[in-house]
Formats: sequence, structure tokens, C-alpha cells
Amino acid sequence: MAQAATDDRLYRSIAAAKPKLVTGVPDGMLAQTIMLCAASDDFPYIACAREEECIGVASGAAMAGERAVVMVQNAGLLNSLGALATMGLRYGLPFVVIVTNRGALADPNGYDIEKREAFDAGVRPMARVFDFDAADFPDDLIPAAFKWAEAARKPVIIALEKRLGSGGGAAA
Amino acid sequence: MSNLPSQQDAIAAALALYPSRPFAVSDIGSQSGWLKGAGHDARNLYVSGPMGLATSVALGLAAVRPNDQVLAIAGDGALAMNLTSLATIVGAKPRNLSILLVDNRVYEFTASVPTPTREMDWLAVGRAFFGADQCVRLSDLTAERWAGIARPAMIVADVAPAPAKPPALGMTPAMIRMEFLKASKA
Repeated sequence: MAQAATDDRLYRSIAAAKPKLVTGVPDGMLAQTIMLCAASDDFPYIACAREEECIGVASGAAMAGERAVVMVQNAGLLNSLGALATMGLRYGLPFVVIVTNRGALADPNGYDIEKREAFDAGVRPMARVFDFDAADFPDDLIPAAFKWAEAARKPVIIALEKRLGSGGGAAA
Repeated sequence: MSNLPSQQDAIAAALALYPSRPFAVSDIGSQSGWLKGAGHDARNLYVSGPMGLATSVALGLAAVRPNDQVLAIAGDGALAMNLTSLATIVGAKPRNLSILLVDNRVYEFTASVPTPTREMDWLAVGRAFFGADQCVRLSDLTAERWAGIARPAMIVADVAPAPAKPPALGMTPAMIRMEFLKASKA
């Protein structure tokens, strides 16, 4: 497992931020990272049945002053906007939400298109989103995201997408 | 006249089962109001999130404070909105998390409109998730018995609907956060 961990850049970036917990609901693009987090001895991974729960779990950790990472798909975050608003934004909780922003130009599944449009219409006006290529992002992405969130005193969303001409970095 | 306890008294009775004050995470509305009414404590976390999220918030807190006991306080209407959190808690197996379900069969903060779960057997629901020994009625509990019950566990309390809403919290989100943050680091 340790060898596999060194091969997953997102996992390494999460671990470098030294979170006290990671929580999520799987998406194909996050599956390997989630399995590595679940196997980690450095922090617990809480597998939630529903994405809104993830925002609650992260809020509980952040209320105690601890770092928490959420991993969900864009449709899952759309299911969680009430929790993001009334917990993360209302209490000013600096947790990091990693979102796979499906429905990109290089990711044209018919069932993903409206999710992406709803993400743009619903999430971007209410929370800070930083966009990255899922196959090409800096190693210090998640530590940097925490630094931003802690300075801003609010959650931050890291949106990962497949990009044309890129390596992919996605399983499904 | 109902013989059932008030929600405030049920919350106070559940907190009294612990040898020392647990963290108490209450859902928005009635549960937060009655928790404060039962006695404000810096270890109270009054959740302002969507109804039902207290169980999830409590799970996150329990994960980062494994040496402290955590009690989530949910109403029947609230828990029905986040019933999946019980499945998540079963999977996460926190050894320091319990749930107090206060069942008054109405949405107390919303003109006491009846809840869709008013005919539901919450004891059976809790036992389906946590097991027969880990889901008990508040009226059957003593501190000694509660101490011997493995977590995660659930307490079911039938409570009387209140004639009026609880008093307002009188705390801003920043006040709640800072006070709780300090208590959670102590």
C-alpha cells in the first residue's frame, strides 16, 4: 500500500496537509485516492452514505479546530449546498472540499453535463472555487488550500477536471 | 395531561448518565434551544446547519476527539432527514459516539406540524442499525447501565410536545464557534 500511495499525487498532497480526518463519497476519478485514504494510518477516513453528511463530518472536526478534507463529485456537492452554507460559511470553518467537476470538454458523459452547469450556477457564486487539471496540479495543492481557507476563515473548493490534451488522471 | 417528560428534561436526564460532561451536539431549532435550556455549557455545540446534520457533525467531532464522549441530540423530524447518517456511523464504528433521539412526533419549530415518522418505532430502527443491546429507551437507563453499553449507541426518548418554542439561543455563530473551540481544546 505504501508504494501505491507514492503513485497517487492527490493522496500525497492530502497527506502533506496533515488532516485529522478525511471523508467522502466515491467518484470514479477519486476512487484510488479514497482507497488510499481508507488504508492510511495517519488519519481516519469516514465513508459517508451521502455527500451532505461529509460536510457535517468535516464541520465537526473543524469546529474543534482540526483540519478535515471532503472528497465528492460535483453532483454530490450540489446535494450539500445547504450544509455548506449553514455550517461551513455561517461558522467560518476552514475545511477543504475536493470536487471532481465532471462534464468538462474532455469528460462529455451525457449524464454529467447538467451537473457541471448547475455547479457553475449554484456553487461558484457562494464559495471560492479553484480549478485544476486532475492530471496536472502542484504537489502542495492541498496544503496551500488549507492555508487559504484558514486565512479566509471559510471552506475552499478545489475543483478537479479532465482536460483535453492532458494525461487524464481519472479512472472513470 | 401527558406523563412524558419534556424535551428539556429528557436532554438533562441523558447528559446526567455520564460521569463527566460529554460534548453535546444538537440539531438546529428545538434540540439546540432545549439543550441550552437544560444548562449551557461550553461543550455544547449548537448546530445551525440543515435539520438532521447533528449526527454527522458529532461523528466528525468524535473522530478527532477519540478520548472524549460525544452525544448527538436529534429530533424525530430531524433524524428522518439524515437517516443515512446512522448507516455511516455504524460503518465508522466510533467508540465514543451516542445519539439521543427525542421523539415528540411533531416539527416543534414549524407550528408543530406532525412528522411523517410519527407512527414509526424508533427503538426498532435504532436496533436495526446498532443492535438490540446498543439501542435503549431513556426511561430504562441508569448511569451504571449506560456505562456498560458499547458505542456507538442510541437512546430513544419519547417526549411531550412543548406548548411553546424554547427561548432563543442568544448567541451568534462566532460566539458558538469560539466558545466551543476553546472547550474542545481544553
